[in-house]
Amino acid sequence: MNEFVYLPENLDEALEIRASTGAVPIAGGTDLMVRYRRGSGIPPQFDFPVVLIGKIDALRYIEVSADNIHIGSATTLTEIFMNEDVPQILKLAVGEMASPAIRNVATIGGNIGNASPAGDTLPPLYILDAKIVLKNLNGEREVPIEDFITGPGQTILRSDEIIYEVTIPIGNFDKIYYRKIGTRKALALSKVSFSAAVNYRGDVIDDMRFAFGAVAPVVIRSREIEGEFKNITFNELKNREGEIAQKYSPLINPIDDQRSTAEYRRKVSLRLLKFFIQNVI
Amino acid sequence: MSERISMSVERVDAREKIYGEALYIGDYRFEDMLFAKTVRSKVPRAKILNVKIPALPDGYFVVDRDDVPGKNRVKILVYDQPYFADGVVNYIGEPILLVVGPEREKVFEIARKVEVEYEEIPPILTIDDALSGKNQPIYGDDNCFVDYHYEKGNVKNAFANAETIVEGEYETGYQEHLYIEPQGVAAVFDGEKITIYGSMQCPYYIKRALAECLALDEKNVRVVQVTTGGAFGGKEEYPSLIAGQAAVAAMKTQKPVKLILDRTEDIMVSTKRHPSRTRYRAAIDADGKVIALDVDIIFDGGAYAGLSDVVLQRGMFSAAGVYNIPNISVHGRAVATNKVPTGAFRGFGAPQVFFAIERLFDKIASKLGENPVDLRLRHAISQGDFTATGGIMRQPVKIPEMVEKLEKMSDFRSKIGKSLPGDEPHIKRGYGLSLFFHGCGFTGNGENIIAAEAKLKKHSDGKVEILVANTEMGQGALTALRKIVAETLKIQFDDVIYELPDTDRVPDSGPTVASRTTMIVGGLLKKAAEEMRERWNEADEFEIMKKYHHPDYIRWNQETFEGDAYPTYSFGANVAEVDVDTITGEIAVRHIWAVFDVGITIDEVLMRGQAQGGVVQGTGYATIEVMEAQAGRLLQSTITDYTIPTTKDVPLVECAFIDNPYEYGPFGAKCAGELTLVGAAPAIAAAVENAIGREIVRIPIKPEEIIKKLD
Repeated sequence: MNEFVYLPENLDEALEIRASTGAVPIAGGTDLMVRYRRGSGIPPQFDFPVVLIGKIDALRYIEVSADNIHIGSATTLTEIFMNEDVPQILKLAVGEMASPAIRNVATIGGNIGNASPAGDTLPPLYILDAKIVLKNLNGEREVPIEDFITGPGQTILRSDEIIYEVTIPIGNFDKIYYRKIGTRKALALSKVSFSAAVNYRGDVIDDMRFAFGAVAPVVIRSREIEGEFKNITFNELKNREGEIAQKYSPLINPIDDQRSTAEYRRKVSLRLLKFFIQNVI
Repeated sequence: MSERISMSVERVDAREKIYGEALYIGDYRFEDMLFAKTVRSKVPRAKILNVKIPALPDGYFVVDRDDVPGKNRVKILVYDQPYFADGVVNYIGEPILLVVGPEREKVFEIARKVEVEYEEIPPILTIDDALSGKNQPIYGDDNCFVDYHYEKGNVKNAFANAETIVEGEYETGYQEHLYIEPQGVAAVFDGEKITIYGSMQCPYYIKRALAECLALDEKNVRVVQVTTGGAFGGKEEYPSLIAGQAAVAAMKTQKPVKLILDRTEDIMVSTKRHPSRTRYRAAIDADGKVIALDVDIIFDGGAYAGLSDVVLQRGMFSAAGVYNIPNISVHGRAVATNKVPTGAFRGFGAPQVFFAIERLFDKIASKLGENPVDLRLRHAISQGDFTATGGIMRQPVKIPEMVEKLEKMSDFRSKIGKSLPGDEPHIKRGYGLSLFFHGCGFTGNGENIIAAEAKLKKHSDGKVEILVANTEMGQGALTALRKIVAETLKIQFDDVIYELPDTDRVPDSGPTVASRTTMIVGGLLKKAAEEMRERWNEADEFEIMKKYHHPDYIRWNQETFEGDAYPTYSFGANVAEVDVDTITGEIAVRHIWAVFDVGITIDEVLMRGQAQGGVVQGTGYATIEVMEAQAGRLLQSTITDYTIPTTKDVPLVECAFIDNPYEYGPFGAKCAGELTLVGAAPAIAAAVENAIGREIVRIPIKPEEIIKKLD
């Protein structure tokens, strides 16, 4: 059992520690500190070394470039929620996460790295075509979020890498929609979430994206299905509601757990999809 | 609010709690104090074959059944669960031993390394299993902790003459208290005398239990309450168990021992509200009058008896609801299952049964095609009528006034029984009504057995001290009892002293339960204060003690359950307005209007706090407080998964109080604290039923169930 806790001063140091020890990065700690807790008044015990990166300034920023919004991985959910440049659909999700106190320490990089099927920043990030920038001592690489997360708690993060940044292409949607069904109205984990974003010209759909959270090992977004329903009118879309739901149905593979049932998650995710098609757009 | 006593004062414990100055048991430090961690059963039912203890460093100890000097059974109503498992375990989380030592971290590490070898026994996990006789009973021959029956009138005849029979089966789930401060005690032994400090409701319960556990004379057991961060009944019987464990450890190690449960541990192992299944049959005559009820109530008591006997009795005595039913037969059983023991929780068996009877009355209304309000008013009990147990409703009953007041507040009568549109097309809105009572004080002859004693002491500086065993747990006892004494003596509120109880200083005025503190103990203090006022100049210092006897009119037979189950009753009426999202099945409880008759309020603001808190706790019970057991293990064992309402889930709660002074209560006060929880669940269930047009027979009402019904 390795009980080392590393406290790097800056990003370079953090990357060196990562490279030499494989220590697991912790930023806000709102997932890992809870998962490894032992008792009140006793520090959690990790069965692996950890490196604390939450206070590294080089990971805390929100910047806008010509084509993208860049969010440092240790940026807190509160900072994201308060920022003017962050896309609205991400803010809708962040605003319903946890509580103000938890949002003050929880980070976007943590939510991505934790890779929970119920992680609430994930469906909007899938919809926004977000890319994750990973850094190690030798340089960086950029991967689409759906390639980064491979399963519950599973990512392609290498043992010498740190999640450095979330890059979101700048874009505008004519209509966005976000709905989280939690165990209650605040301080709740998602049973199901549904996100949608649409662009249209007149009554013709240009671009329509859907993402489903907490109903499969990873967030469900299908570019293939979305592609089949481009350049059709709203009326045609409404008429083909059943067909769309049928296409998504096999992708939705939820589980029974202490918060809800597979049956409910399956039904409600499709109900929300149909509701969106019939009533929201 | 017509009475002077009802005018509010600043509650005495508000500042120290708001400023963070109040010291809870977790804040207490004693010299050389050791920390304790409990090793618990990981299986629902087994023989313990072997316990392997790791090598213990100097200063670390293991404490188990062999260390108990006296009886290794917690004295509650009967000798109940062992302080430390006695060769067998009957639920997941049952305590087996303590590890104690100077460093909490090390104690936890050792506790984790203790290995227990089990031989599992087929467990009994559900009410059906408990009664099937399939597996070896946990308790007695029939696996029932108690099996009671009472009857008034002639139910058989009434059913034979019935025009219509309506039947219903209703279920309620667990409820966890989720007091903000978990259970905790510290035990200090000086070689002769043990002192317990802790978070508790009933110091004398602990004192008596420990005298037997430790084989000490009662005078050598001292129990001191420290600031208690919420209880709701959860700190009625449970603290005796952990106080005994800590005390045994303190005697063995000759050092102070502190035992505080962590949150998840507390949720897993402390008592809960009894899950229930209640079946009703109602006989209705040609005039649409309910002439008889045949009732079968089953409570899931968990692995040990605890207070199930009396919790069930309160449920059974509520079986007719607030209605005048001439013939009633009530069969009640509390069954044993290999799950966490259930116990006292605000309402104490009544919320389960009021949920059932109020749902039944809605069903009867719909069968008869009558407005549910009219049906209720037609059957409402009034002064002089007989109660379910054949007692006499002696005081005025103001149900019609309460319903009229609700109507003025909410305009609900025209909206009830219908599915109404919400703000958006996929939202359905509904309204539901509930009527309910709470029997004041202990059930049956309990108050006469307790024979509470309360003392008032005049000090030489002219201050007057209240000496009672009753505890402040957030409900406002410190303020309410002071007000009663100050107002009676016509002295300043600040000149009344009332410290948290220490059994070396206060007489046994009974436990702080059953909504009895203000009415029963406050009533004794009022009498003492009246006498003190007469004798004020008699001496610089003197004491007056008063002992409780039921008013002379009460007659009660504990064997047959006949007569006055309670000296008086408080009443409530709630209307709930809910929205149901037909896409997701989510319920939003928007608004609850609540009218209560608690006699006279001793402090209007305190009472509003009780009312709002009770309604919110009842709202959680009806909706989001889901707790289910699978293979004997609670699935929702963290504060993340067991969800109580946040401020965003809380409905707008509007309360009003109807004056109805009770002759034997101080300033006319009756019981108040528990009543306020009882009505929310049936009103919400009725509102949801009306909104979606599907019958609701089970709480909590989960979106998962709504979606099934809507599909």
